[in-house]
Amino acid sequence: MPNLIEVQNLGKSFGDNEVLKNINESVKKGQVICVIGPSGSGKSTFLRCLNVLETPSTGKVLFEGNSLTGISESELNNLREKMGMVFQSFNLFPNMNVIENIKLAPLRVKKISDTEATQRAKELLERVGLADKAEQYPQSLSGGQQQRVAIARALAMNPEVMLFDEPTSALDPEMVGEVLKVMQDLAESGMTMVVVTHEMGFAKEVADEIWFMADGSIQEKGTPETFFKTPKTERAQDFLSKILN
Amino acid sequence: MKKNKFFLFIIIFLLALIIPFTHVKAASDNYLQKVKDKGTLVVGTSADYPPYEFTAKENGKTKYVGLDISIAERFAKDIGVKLKIRNMNFDSLLVALETHKIDMVIAGMNPTPERKTSVAFSKIYYTGNQYMLINKSDAARFKKIKDFKGQTIGAQTGSLQYSLVKQQMKGNDVKGLAKLNDLVIALQSHKVNAVAMEEATAKAFAENNRNLKVINPGFDIDASQTGSAIGFSKGADSLVTAANKTIDEIKKDNLINKKYIPAAAKNMTANSKKKSMMNYWTYFAKGIEYTLIITVVSVFFGFVLGTLFALMRLSRSKFVHGLAVSYIEFVRGTPLMVQVMFVYFGVGAVIQSLPALVAGIIAVSLNSAAYVAEVIRSGIESIPSGQTEASRSLGMSQKETYRYIIIPQALKNIWPALGNEFVTLIKESSIVSIIGVTDLMYQMQLVQSATYKGVIPIFITMVIYFLMTFGLSKVLGYFEGKMKHA
Repeated sequence: MPNLIEVQNLGKSFGDNEVLKNINESVKKGQVICVIGPSGSGKSTFLRCLNVLETPSTGKVLFEGNSLTGISESELNNLREKMGMVFQSFNLFPNMNVIENIKLAPLRVKKISDTEATQRAKELLERVGLADKAEQYPQSLSGGQQQRVAIARALAMNPEVMLFDEPTSALDPEMVGEVLKVMQDLAESGMTMVVVTHEMGFAKEVADEIWFMADGSIQEKGTPETFFKTPKTERAQDFLSKILN
Repeated sequence: MKKNKFFLFIIIFLLALIIPFTHVKAASDNYLQKVKDKGTLVVGTSADYPPYEFTAKENGKTKYVGLDISIAERFAKDIGVKLKIRNMNFDSLLVALETHKIDMVIAGMNPTPERKTSVAFSKIYYTGNQYMLINKSDAARFKKIKDFKGQTIGAQTGSLQYSLVKQQMKGNDVKGLAKLNDLVIALQSHKVNAVAMEEATAKAFAENNRNLKVINPGFDIDASQTGSAIGFSKGADSLVTAANKTIDEIKKDNLINKKYIPAAAKNMTANSKKKSMMNYWTYFAKGIEYTLIITVVSVFFGFVLGTLFALMRLSRSKFVHGLAVSYIEFVRGTPLMVQVMFVYFGVGAVIQSLPALVAGIIAVSLNSAAYVAEVIRSGIESIPSGQTEASRSLGMSQKETYRYIIIPQALKNIWPALGNEFVTLIKESSIVSIIGVTDLMYQMQLVQSATYKGVIPIFITMVIYFLMTFGLSKVLGYFEGKMKHA
């Protein structure tokens, strides 16, 4: 399988604060990666560097072989189209109803017809189990429903990869399941995914590979079985013992 | 960064200083030819000075009348051009002349040595005495200058009477106001004890108000200063010569005393018979029309420019950011009145044909833009960064993000503040009356002049302004409610 995303010597600093240090990794097409680790370890910053919501301080991010840094805004926009992103706080557009949220980017960026966009949006809503909510406004939906709409919105651009930034952290516990279910279905359909998460159950069950991050670098990676059963580094052992007890 | 900003300020200041002086004066005296070429003689006056100049209604239309207007008509006819009257504050007349907004001034103006330094005057066409208007109840106390010891005297700012009181009544306070009508109100409410006025004007006020009286306090007057003459731009000798010829002919036939003053008196009586405000509803209607035009157009351009400045201020380019910040700070830090005058007289000196209405709209729009920019900026900054990130992660450009995501949400948040700005604009636009735009405020002054009533027109104007702002608030509130549902 070819590398879809390649990270080379990636570093990121905010002022004097070095958040990411010399990361070299790659994501293959169809892979599901779960990035786990303690708070403040740089997981979210790492994920946001992948579609350059944060500009890397050093190093490169390549998508399908094309660098995401040092290119024009329109070139970056073209690459971002192919990288869907789901945020912790959903970030639905409150000035639009559900179906308009989903149709906006296909209409404005891909310039497809309204009929086609509507058709596609309805299919996606069906897929995330919210076909009856098309005309509602985001603020009238529950957190779990909003996050499912956000996933549908990202999928509407037919991305090559989906980036999830702690998608269930802002949800009430009873709504976590419905979102994870949608994500699991997505993984099973063959979508390439990079998921920053605290849901160990999900990571164990769905991930092809676990990346364990601490202190701004990836300390350890492996299949869920080996990582959860026999973590090699002391940091990982420490982390797992804390969250599993 | 700091240094950069300071530099910009300096540039803006220098520009502001240079603009008024960039007008190059015509080398030779072709003033008369120029007037003939354009076919109209633009005459500045201050039409609250009966019998010299005032307004009257004829067949439902407002007309400028008075002996000065008659002379101007005759002069325009003699040189074969059309006459156009530009009415403005007496103080603004000389500036308007200097900046070539008008070709001549005829406003019962006395050719004092001070004025002669900047204005070319014709011969004196009429000589009147300098009188004092007082309350009838004070008639026993005030007879001569010395009786006024310690009293406050009113006079029109920039007028001969103002200088006379300053020079010859040293122990008195002088209260200067731009409009005679306001001075008469001040007299009636005992804010001032007397108003220094030209003879004919004082008599006109006394005739129309039973509680007022005219006295001759015995100012020591240099004969050359009491007469009225026509003012032209310095160096406009061809126009002065032509005007002198007309004046000679008028004098030869004694037209002023035989024809012009009686005609003016007739108009004044006609005015004083129509004192009911109902007769003047067209004045107010025209004022409302212009106030609304200025407000609506300024709201539109203020909003467009304000959005532009807000985006500039949020720009990552330090230069663009600095430019917007300098503009906003400068405009917010200077009074609208000064800005209106600067655009009309300053910028108007470069663009000669800039009409007062357009100048007023430009000034009010530019002023409003600075305030709207800040409102919009606060609105944009109130949108969580997650909205931008979500939009950008979908591949939308910054422009699309602003257009579809940020601006619509920001607008909803700032609607009440924007509405407030628009309501303010209706009221603030009243300042354009100083450059002679016929807005509601200006029309109110005309009604005051025509009716010799001070307070009632003010009251009516106040009620009209309130109805407009209140109506607008209600409309805005309706839309605000609608947006909340969305």
